[in-house]
Amino acid sequence: MSRRAPAALAARSPGSDDSTGAIGAPRHPSRLLLLALIGGGVMWIVAAHYLSASTVPSGLHLPHVSASSLFSRSFLRRSASYQRFLDIDGLLGEMALLLALGLYAWRGHRFMRESAAGRIGTGILLGMLGFAIVWIVELPFGLAGVWWERRHHISHQGYVTWIVQSFFSLGGLFLFVSLALLVAMGLAGVLRRWWWAVAAPVFVGLSLLFTFLTPYLISRTTPLRDPQLLAVARRLQDREGVAHVKIVVQHVDRYTTAPNAESGGLGPTRTVILWNTLLNGRFDERGIEFVIAHELGHLAHDHPLKGVGWAALFLVPAAALIALLTRRRGGLARPEAVPLALFVLVALQLLAAPLQNVASRREEAEADWSALRATRDPAAARQAFRDLAVTSLADPDPPTWTYVLYDSHPTIVQRVAMVYAWEARSRRR
Amino acid sequence: MNERPVRLVVSDDLERGRASVFFRGLLALPCFVWLGVWTFAAFLAAVVNWIVTFLRGRSPAPLHSFLARFVRYATQVFAYLNLAAQPWPGFDARRDYPVDLEIDPPAKQSRWTVLFRLPLALPALLLATILAGTNANNYTGRANGLDIGVFSLLGVAVLLGWFAAVARARMPHGLRDAIAYALSYSAQSWSYLLLLTDRYPSSDPLTAVPGLPSRSDPIRVALEDDLRRSRLTVLFRLLLAVPHYVVLTLWALLVVPAAIVNWLCALILGRSPQPLHRFLAAYLRYQFNVSAFVYLVGNPFPGFTGAEGSYPIALRVAEPSPQGRWTVLFRLPLVLPALLIANAYGALTAVAAVLGWFAALATGRMPLGLRNAGALGLRYTAQTYGYLLLLTSAYPYGGPCLEEAPTIAIRAAPIMTPAGSPPAAI
Repeated sequence: MSRRAPAALAARSPGSDDSTGAIGAPRHPSRLLLLALIGGGVMWIVAAHYLSASTVPSGLHLPHVSASSLFSRSFLRRSASYQRFLDIDGLLGEMALLLALGLYAWRGHRFMRESAAGRIGTGILLGMLGFAIVWIVELPFGLAGVWWERRHHISHQGYVTWIVQSFFSLGGLFLFVSLALLVAMGLAGVLRRWWWAVAAPVFVGLSLLFTFLTPYLISRTTPLRDPQLLAVARRLQDREGVAHVKIVVQHVDRYTTAPNAESGGLGPTRTVILWNTLLNGRFDERGIEFVIAHELGHLAHDHPLKGVGWAALFLVPAAALIALLTRRRGGLARPEAVPLALFVLVALQLLAAPLQNVASRREEAEADWSALRATRDPAAARQAFRDLAVTSLADPDPPTWTYVLYDSHPTIVQRVAMVYAWEARSRRR
Repeated sequence: MNERPVRLVVSDDLERGRASVFFRGLLALPCFVWLGVWTFAAFLAAVVNWIVTFLRGRSPAPLHSFLARFVRYATQVFAYLNLAAQPWPGFDARRDYPVDLEIDPPAKQSRWTVLFRLPLALPALLLATILAGTNANNYTGRANGLDIGVFSLLGVAVLLGWFAAVARARMPHGLRDAIAYALSYSAQSWSYLLLLTDRYPSSDPLTAVPGLPSRSDPIRVALEDDLRRSRLTVLFRLLLAVPHYVVLTLWALLVVPAAIVNWLCALILGRSPQPLHRFLAAYLRYQFNVSAFVYLVGNPFPGFTGAEGSYPIALRVAEPSPQGRWTVLFRLPLVLPALLIANAYGALTAVAAVLGWFAALATGRMPLGLRNAGALGLRYTAQTYGYLLLLTSAYPYGGPCLEEAPTIAIRAAPIMTPAGSPPAAI
């Protein structure tokens, strides 16, 4: 979920990735290779075009909406200041992250002496230590974020609790890194330069599995018990053509006051997750109905599956690039190449983030459009967006650089504009 | 290695009178009453000693002598109660008692460590509690009602030793040494707290008890690594082991049926088949290596295969040998007492790891005593599971021991030797 997630009705996107991979281009690129590259590029573009297809009418004109027409001046000042701090904190954190991983790529192989394991085991250790260093480096920025959120009453999480929780959540990450490196280094030991060609599909498969299992990995959830909301959810499922979707409530109020909702899963595991901060009386029933419709919209348009598709589009070239760049360290079959592979992977992820945000924003807009068609209640939608912004202190009209770098959702202003556009369009009909 | 200022002296011959063992608790009562009286005086003396030592930087000889006598007497009484010695200790700290202490005369002490002696002693007292429980570690002589004594190493060793001594009129050597180890560390901790020395207690089992036997068990440990620890891997040690725990869990799914088949084969053939023995030994080694890594007994990240010689804290498992079919048939009930002790050793290893974690994070080195205490716990646990899995017919040895040349059970770390020289065997 994006850093602006509180303001968002996010589809749980598995798309972000993780893998390792590499290009195993022959020493002297042949025409065949060139053709393969061109063919791959064309296929990539075609696939991206297909994945970015949306049911939002093309050429939809969004009317100009001024943030000041929706919110008071004091709120706009406050939300801008709140978001600015978090954005700058995040940017500094990312710069520190890149610097730390750059140093680790340069000197990290020295940690090989801390291993009595074999080639892959040592690589796994280096991979885990890389992320351990990332955790240490990002700790001050994370704490600053918690301090800022506490100061604005968005979070009530204690500092120690936050540190302990984030520390132990590394366990899951380490496990994932170990699995990824086991696959990549195992294949690199056999296939040498071409490991990425097999590893990328394996990672996509894992991404698919992860997407399928996502709803089971979310903690502190209970089934939605409110009979009225359940009836609303059933009606919306019929309207949006998605059957047998579980609706659950995630209990997050111990940590945050910000409202949110998510959706995820595939086939029988499709689930809508409502944060209990959404159901504590600050949103009226029509607003919650719109939120549920939005999440069902994600599922109705197969956004989780598309997320896997986007992951594949990222993973294949990323794995190839990692394979190419780690050749100087003997390829990913050798553990000393792992720190460099981590650096390349994280750098590519950061570089790809704006592109991923574009794709994500298109999906969010499509889910909004789908929700408007299902609820036919633009006033509720406008109110829900306003409430989301106010309760999570989201900047309704953020600066362009943060919009490009961080926003996985359209801005509140854009979302309200879409509501007006939908209204105008349905009046014409 | 420098001699420690507080040393346990053991001249016990392991012989025990059955009646004396049977009624040991009651027989010790008068000594405890006297110890309680003595404790009151010792408390007052300790306060005065603390003030004077802080002012002068040295403990006054009369106070030092009085408190040393108190600690010696308490050690003798607890040695008697806990079956580490046979003769009744009387009411004075006898010089010829089979389990006694030697305490050096007063020496100059740093005023800072004197000032903060109580908080400084807390980690040592914690470890002493794990080793000796709150009963034998409580020098006041008062009963504590419900305490954790029975779950401590000393408590379990006494419980099992009591049955053995009543049955055979002899205390098993390993259990006696385990008890002596706990008493030795408690005595060091109290001596440190009472300002009899400023040398921090050492939990090294190899120096805690004199006259340790040399053994060459079928399952034994050789310590080849130094005490250097990478701070980064120390900080994340528990999390770095997560992949290993997953592999161990998956491996355990195969080990259970393999162990059952091995049991049936050993029952029929009188020995473990070589392939099963190899497979189970590899699992045991791998589990041992992972534990050594997690508990900071070893530094490097272990491999995933449990291959022999792949880790500097090496678990050596002998080749399969003939086993008595009766002991194979009843292996599960036979192993239960050892599991009790392994549980107590597990607590020792865990606490040594927690204390060692802070020390290693601060200094980049694992204290020798904590490392060896952890290694002792892991060695006993490995021997227990090896016995359970029929990798050996030798019952786990309950106490610390030395390595019989040319292979060692536990060897001193090279940190004590000049760089580049080979590790010194104790």
